[in-house]
Amino acid sequence: MTETSEGGEAAGRQLRAGLWATVNERYPGSMIDKTDFIPLAPLRKPLSECRLVFISTSGVQPRGTMPFDTVHPVGDYTFRRVPSSSPVEDLEIHQLKYPTVGANRDLNVIFPIERLRELAAEGVIGGLTEHFYSFIGYNMDPERLERTLAEDIAAAVSEEGADIALAAPA
Amino acid sequence: MSLQYLKDAVAAGDREKLIRYVRLHLGDGNEEAGRKDIDKAWTEALLPLLDLPATDREFIFETLRMKDAATLAHLFFHLHFYFVQRSGEWIHDGNL
Repeated sequence: MTETSEGGEAAGRQLRAGLWATVNERYPGSMIDKTDFIPLAPLRKPLSECRLVFISTSGVQPRGTMPFDTVHPVGDYTFRRVPSSSPVEDLEIHQLKYPTVGANRDLNVIFPIERLRELAAEGVIGGLTEHFYSFIGYNMDPERLERTLAEDIAAAVSEEGADIALAAPA
Repeated sequence: MSLQYLKDAVAAGDREKLIRYVRLHLGDGNEEAGRKDIDKAWTEALLPLLDLPATDREFIFETLRMKDAATLAHLFFHLHFYFVQRSGEWIHDGNL
């Protein structure tokens, strides 16, 4: 699920070093310009004791909540809390930028909420946070994304006592 | 493309970059598809008016008078997708 490393920056390792440079070279004007060192976070206890949070850019949200803003030309910087106990029938997708045909048949394709509940029930992971977190990936202002959305989700995840995060781009 | 890319284009008066951006946004990354969808939205908006039905002009004028430009611009994007969806020729993979 994740690689365990020790030492972070001191160990001189970075996941996919040079990735941002490659992206910027291939996509001039890309929103991605991070050059910060991003160390691997060490896993501090066995998976079977870890509470997992799932974070997704799939645009999955509880039915009845304000739909993600799929039409705004600069993006949507809000997120939705998705109860990890939600029946999939209570969830829906608002997202234009990826094919949702398969996910509309089986939400687990993009938002594996039932599979994660199974892993928790089997003891493979220690448990799930009360909520998972969802937003849409179409965001053209990286500063706002980092300053608000990422920080807000990080704070919420921290409050829920997550030990590990499974982050999945759609 | 980022927001800064767009702001730089605005500052430079480079409308071509802005037009290209809008087409890419509306075409899910395909500029030609976006251009066609813009045309599609306008023709679809024309169709309900051909028989000169009564329309709620008071609502229109009230909305234009009461709402700020940003809200109207946002509505404009919503209307684009509304009419594209209404056309039945939906090129997008996802859900509004």
